[in-house]
Amino acid sequence: MPVEEAVYLDYAAAAPLDPRVASAMAACLADPALQANPASTHAAGRDAAEHVAVARAKVARLVNAEPEAMVFTSGATESVNLAVLGAARAAGKERRHVVTSRIEHRAGLDACRQLEREGHSVSWLAPGREGLIEVEQVAAALRSDTALVSLMHANNETGAVTDIAAVARLCEARGIVFHADAAQSVGRMPVDAALPGIALLSFCAHKLGGPKGVGVLYVRRRPRPAIQPLQFGGGHERGLRSGTLALHQLVGFGLACELAGAELAEETARVRSLRERLWQGLQAAAPLWRNGAAEPSAPGILSVGFAGIEGESLLLELDDALHASSGAACSSASGEPSYVLRALGRSDEAIQASLRLSLGRGTTAADVDRAAALLLRAVARLRAVLPAGALERIA
Amino acid sequence: MSPAISRYSSTVRTLFRELDGAGDLANDGGTIVSGEAAALDRGAWVRFAARIEGERFEDCRFRAFGCPHTLAAASLVAGRLRGAPLAAASSIDAAGIAYELDAPAEKMGRLLVVEDALRALLVDLGRVQ
Repeated sequence: MPVEEAVYLDYAAAAPLDPRVASAMAACLADPALQANPASTHAAGRDAAEHVAVARAKVARLVNAEPEAMVFTSGATESVNLAVLGAARAAGKERRHVVTSRIEHRAGLDACRQLEREGHSVSWLAPGREGLIEVEQVAAALRSDTALVSLMHANNETGAVTDIAAVARLCEARGIVFHADAAQSVGRMPVDAALPGIALLSFCAHKLGGPKGVGVLYVRRRPRPAIQPLQFGGGHERGLRSGTLALHQLVGFGLACELAGAELAEETARVRSLRERLWQGLQAAAPLWRNGAAEPSAPGILSVGFAGIEGESLLLELDDALHASSGAACSSASGEPSYVLRALGRSDEAIQASLRLSLGRGTTAADVDRAAALLLRAVARLRAVLPAGALERIA
Repeated sequence: MSPAISRYSSTVRTLFRELDGAGDLANDGGTIVSGEAAALDRGAWVRFAARIEGERFEDCRFRAFGCPHTLAAASLVAGRLRGAPLAAASSIDAAGIAYELDAPAEKMGRLLVVEDALRALLVDLGRVQ
């Protein structure tokens, strides 16, 4: 009997590499004419540089930016670090205040904690129960010495979307640098880096069908925000990120962006519809709840909690059949429950009962229906062994 | 496969997959003892119930909420008690369970909840004897 392939619903962690991207990367790696350093001035180097330029243009086009504004990095974590640390450090001694939120990706959180260690003051905005950071909260947190506001566009755990256009306008009016961490939104919903007030915007390839190990930081050209590099050694990438560019990675990134852009409108609607189909399909597992707002949200993310269920057990129960992420304790060696769900006011028990299901371009209606059926069966099995009273208590 | 899942030993996987001993005792009369322990901050809640026949556990069942190690440990303990002399129960502890399951150190808190539920059952046993 053929073994059914597992349903992959972990696109928020990494989207599978698009086969067309893999082919393009392999071709690039195998092409003897593309082995030179793109920074070299000889003919082979110039050929490689031309391919870099093509990739840069494709990446820029996806977010409506000028190619020259795109600074390639090793991924979104580096991009966020460069944005947060680089902009805050460059702001000078008179402007040492940063505004961010408690539900940022660890890249943003840890960079801001580092700024605190360096003597900067950081305001940590708390979301409401729906997981949203409101522009009014940002406005209330701004000070005369605020140098930087850094917020996620779409949250990686709940999918809740911040109105970055409104925050950007606010920052522009106050002369404050605004950085949007758009790793979860670019390629999955429209993102416009040319919106007034967006100075910095970070994202990476592997969330949208490209390779791991490559990302980008959009750095507005006019006016260019003050930003200090974190890495030195040649002054590549407008002096902001030294290091030889990995051409095959960029070719893959560029193509992934091109493909995502071509299919963006249809895919956004299709994936959103599939997510709601999944949510409806799970209703038979009530009592259950949704973590974060249904809207506004990134189209592919559904964070769901099942009363009486421990997330790690649910994941193991599903391991051979469904790949997703737990918001529960002990999904990492630290054993800490998700700080994002905790910031939403969820109890440790509710966090342990939560699972993040994230859909993407390869997800089909059949995948969603099978995932729902697998979850219903797994939840029923685990609930069947609960002690009396646990179903009511663990929610 | 996540790093957490890759840490499960084959013993944990087998016990978790089968959950032997899960559920309630059949309503066959006899002397029933039970014990329960919960630490929701650690994500574990375990209940044992056993039927006593003379000087041995005739049957033992468990109900549990928790991670795979917790459920596997509860199943392991219930299986150990089934048919065992009453005196055998006192030799079961979290450290021994952890060794048998090849459980990582961060799971010890949950395995102690399993041990606490067993200790509660033994207290109940002392009450009826």
